[in-house]
Amino acid sequence: MSSEIWVVADIKADGQVRKVTFEVLSEARKKLGGPVCAVLLGSGVSEKASELASYGAEKIYVVDNTNLKDFNPDGYVKSLCELIKKHSPAVVLSGNTAFAEDYMPRVASGVGSGLAMDCVDIGMTDDGRLKIKRYSHSSRAISTQEFSGDGSAMIATVRPNSFKEEESAGAGQVVNEDTGVTDADIRIKVLEMKTKESDRPELTEAERVVSGGRGLASEENFNYIYDLADLLGAAAGATRAAVDAGYCPYDMQVGQTGKAVSPVLYVAVAISGSVQHFSGMGSSKVIVSINKDPEAPIFAKSDYGICGDLFQVLPPLTEELKKALSE
Amino acid sequence: MKIVVFITQTQDTEARIKVDSSGNSIDTEGMKWIMNPYDEFAVEEAIKTKEAYGGEVVLITAGPQRASQALLQGLAMGADSAVHVSDEALGETVDSLVISKLVASELGKIEGVDLIFTGMKIIDEESVQVGIQIAEELGIPHLALVSKVINVKPDEKKLVCQKEIDGGSVSVEVPLPALITCPDAMNEPRYASVPNIMKAKRKPMKTVSLDDVDFGSLGIGRDAVGKSGAKIKTVSLEVPEVERKLRIIKGSDETTVKGDEIAESAKELVKLLRDDAKVI
Repeated sequence: MSSEIWVVADIKADGQVRKVTFEVLSEARKKLGGPVCAVLLGSGVSEKASELASYGAEKIYVVDNTNLKDFNPDGYVKSLCELIKKHSPAVVLSGNTAFAEDYMPRVASGVGSGLAMDCVDIGMTDDGRLKIKRYSHSSRAISTQEFSGDGSAMIATVRPNSFKEEESAGAGQVVNEDTGVTDADIRIKVLEMKTKESDRPELTEAERVVSGGRGLASEENFNYIYDLADLLGAAAGATRAAVDAGYCPYDMQVGQTGKAVSPVLYVAVAISGSVQHFSGMGSSKVIVSINKDPEAPIFAKSDYGICGDLFQVLPPLTEELKKALSE
Repeated sequence: MKIVVFITQTQDTEARIKVDSSGNSIDTEGMKWIMNPYDEFAVEEAIKTKEAYGGEVVLITAGPQRASQALLQGLAMGADSAVHVSDEALGETVDSLVISKLVASELGKIEGVDLIFTGMKIIDEESVQVGIQIAEELGIPHLALVSKVINVKPDEKKLVCQKEIDGGSVSVEVPLPALITCPDAMNEPRYASVPNIMKAKRKPMKTVSLDDVDFGSLGIGRDAVGKSGAKIKTVSLEVPEVERKLRIIKGSDETTVKGDEIAESAKELVKLLRDDAKVI
């Protein structure tokens, strides 16, 4: 086993490196010792190596292969397993993104490793075993876990927004690798991809999130949420109830089924506050809620709030925020 | 079609939870155990698929004796038979790798499996990985977070699904057999009727003891099952009381703000966010 700490880069559909990659690189450098290296997998991604170096990667393993386009798990699993078997890193980390949740479990199986997912803290024991914290029981419990140190790579994914990204130049030596992924390895065929461009930040990496519940009562009324989000430079989210009612798309869902978010500011509009919703946003730093039901459970879990009708409260609140933000 | 559903019995996370005296697990005294809620969607999807294309639904779980209750619930919903890999050590926190190997090994003995469904997350451990690892152990593809099965083509051994991704959705085709993980948006799980609950008790349930498992072929030792042999150990567990400031602005009658109170409350909230929380 080498002492290398690997961070697998997460690339967005637009080709940019996701912020969580830099967060994990920065934290790994500070907390884990050992040379921190990056792994860059994808199609046409080679030029991103220098960005990874600027966040401290000493080495960057690059697999640039056209069969890795469209985020098909098969090619990523094969590539990462090959690299881990060849170089035996001590630790393999990545952001806990939807894509990592999809392919990292197969990698852990493929190399016979333990896998800790959605960690909110990482560290090392004195004898070089990875130590992590993660939520369980619908985010109501938090456990500290340690790898047993059986010699297999210790694999973990990290919740976005858990750490600060800090630039610090690493040597950035590029190591080109060919993992031999061919068409034949790709079993899942993409027939059609429907994506909508949005100018708002992504939910999981946003510093601020504004979410709406079923109390918004219509798709049109969700414009209240979008307007407030845009004013705050926030991402827009929703409860399962609002998504099920068809007021907004599924990718806005925050909660046990949807996304787990950890912003500095979470504004919950017309959200009662179920256990399932809390499971996805309970780790937010400041929670603000607006609800007309004085008994809404969310108030007992909020820092600030207004008990009031959102349609009456949001217009003056928006005006006041505008004033405060322009000062 | 032969359809398998991998289910898990979990703690009811909506119940009150507390840490036990060991300091590293949840006190299970008086705990309510339920079928993992996401697995209910998986069972429903399997039964719907069977209703549309014919065939049979087999449930499988790996857990202690009490987990047979979750299997009975699935049988009452309409599954035809069940397999229970049973050992009390499986009630402890066990590596996902070990569970997936045990389940894949029994699943591999069922002939002609076309489709495997399972829930997208196990709520007590908040684990999304076991199902996907079963697919890896079996060497078959998986699709996580499928929002809709669009088309099953049993004759061509293919399946077309819609999957949700960031910023939209994607439709994909995958060769069978394949494993699918199910979110809650997928369907409305049916309730088991009383006569069906009675009938469930007479449906075939096969119990597999760890003594019958060929650990050598799985590449793990029997001591890998249970806390002591885990690759990842929980050293401490907390149920933190989150302290929030609870500064909720209400109307003079302790309910909603009204009239002039509305504008005042907006002003006050913004002031709090700026001066007290310092987030704007």
